[in-house]
Amino acid sequence: MNEFVTFFTNTLSLAVPLVLAGFGGLLSERSGVMNIALEGKLLVGACAAAVVGALTGNPYLGMVAALVASTVLSLAHAELTQRYRMDHIVAGMALNLIAIGATNYVSKLEQFSQTLSGVVRVPQVVLASIIVVLIAVVMAVILRGRGGLHLWAVGEDPVKARLVGLNPVAIRYLALLGTGLFCGLGGTWIMANASGFTDGMTAGRGFIALAALVLVGWRPLPLLAACLVFGAVQSLQLVFQGVPIMGTVWPSEVWAAMPYAVTLLALAGFAGSTKPPAGLGVQ
Amino acid sequence: MSGRARLALVLVVVALALGPLFLTPVPPSEWAPELWGSSFGEPRGWALTLRELTPLLIGGVAVWLALRAGLFNIGAEGQMLVGACATGAVALAPAFPGQLPLAIGAGVLAGALWALPAGALRTFRGGHEVISCIMLNQLAFLLTGWLVKGPMKDPNAGGATTKMLDESLRWAPIAKFGRAELDWALPLGLALMVGLWYWRKHRVGGYELEAVGTNATAARFAGIPAEMVPFRAFAMSGGLAGLAGALLVVADQNRFYDGMTSGKGFDSLGVALLAGANPLALAPSALLFAALNAATTGMNQIGIPKGLSGLMLGGLILLFASASQRKDNAHE
Repeated sequence: MNEFVTFFTNTLSLAVPLVLAGFGGLLSERSGVMNIALEGKLLVGACAAAVVGALTGNPYLGMVAALVASTVLSLAHAELTQRYRMDHIVAGMALNLIAIGATNYVSKLEQFSQTLSGVVRVPQVVLASIIVVLIAVVMAVILRGRGGLHLWAVGEDPVKARLVGLNPVAIRYLALLGTGLFCGLGGTWIMANASGFTDGMTAGRGFIALAALVLVGWRPLPLLAACLVFGAVQSLQLVFQGVPIMGTVWPSEVWAAMPYAVTLLALAGFAGSTKPPAGLGVQ
Repeated sequence: MSGRARLALVLVVVALALGPLFLTPVPPSEWAPELWGSSFGEPRGWALTLRELTPLLIGGVAVWLALRAGLFNIGAEGQMLVGACATGAVALAPAFPGQLPLAIGAGVLAGALWALPAGALRTFRGGHEVISCIMLNQLAFLLTGWLVKGPMKDPNAGGATTKMLDESLRWAPIAKFGRAELDWALPLGLALMVGLWYWRKHRVGGYELEAVGTNATAARFAGIPAEMVPFRAFAMSGGLAGLAGALLVVADQNRFYDGMTSGKGFDSLGVALLAGANPLALAPSALLFAALNAATTGMNQIGIPKGLSGLMLGGLILLFASASQRKDNAHE
């Protein structure tokens, strides 16, 4: 019984950053901006939460810093793809490089690396309530509200959306603002479950979220389910650590590889349609 | 894009690349000479730059080839890694005749095979190659990581690394200038680059690649098998990336260890983007990236975190990408 409780709490805890990054990616990609920089946005969020939290001793200031840092990176993404009309993939890749570099640089600076041991964490209850409310609001807007319709329209066909009076660029900026906030919260959550900032501590969560997004064909409710399943897989990895299944102990890498392998199979057409928004990556 | 917007981007990138240097306690009088000395200024700098150059050049050739067919081979990192791992596995097997060429061949094959799913999904299923490449990269990290922590690990080593290759399986340097070593991998990379230039200009395959990359619909009407060209381009690109990994093992490190490509595949995309339309520009482009990597490695020794290289290279990629921007969309 106790194991089940641990399994479920672990699953929820591991799924939260995936859900957040996944919904960040959903907003961005549904508006037509291809987003391979979710990983970088989570990473700067986690780093900002750690550094500012440790420097001020106030976890909420850390959370605000995380939101600001991720949002700045996300709005830079909007600026580069919309104003500078840069290729979405190139921009995303460069932003990931910058995020990895910047977080390594900041966390290794002498004046910070000392204080970084004194990590302060936002209580999970507080974070979790913010996250639940936020996801519910976004879900309602996307599924029922006019905003969701606009978002879909801009992502499917920006030219026709403009003809009916929408402003695709403005909607994409708003969508990426949302991406930044979600990823900042995701980074805060990751820090709230860690003992300190380390290089690459997001460990591919941004890419797993992207995988989930592709897997479910960019739909919000299935996305939530996919992120929970991927969280459960990570949680199973903890359960079966060193425990043999069918006579052999599976290496942890097998569990970690599952989301990526499943997504590749889905792309190959083994799991129904994974049709992207028609205007994805279109200027 | 207006001139003012471009200037703004340049200023932001310069601030990103140089600003962090002033956050460290290390004064400019120390880091400025180091920046120059460990890239071009001193023999030890040349040694570092040359080491970085070859994989970036061959990786650049690989990514550039795919780019001309209109494909982003963002999976070069994973292809390089499995290439290096396969070469290491064959080279560490019990000795047999022809082991060295076979080991390098295994690296090329592994790289090509690792690229194949992405090419096939794109060609036959319409799946975006970038998404599948990201998945394949992650799988490559996990697979090679598991191999080198488990079956391939040197039992006497503390970290995740294989044994050193046998002396006979290493590529000896062809020349030494002080501490700088020149091995056969660099001339091979240059030859590949020139070969690519020739292939594109004078061979049918190269022409077809260019035609499909420029306008796939027009190419199809001209009778070019427009479906197969991207597929082939991806396999070739993967093979070349695998070769870059293989040479990293036999010519440079003489072993395989966890995460040994350390972002060189991602940097290769920057190298290819900077080279633009001319394959011969890959050499100076790779040299620039190699020098920056070498400089930040040197500056790391005097207390400037290595993350600076990510800031500099990422900023550079943004600058090239904005300068060589796609023409304004007709709809705008």
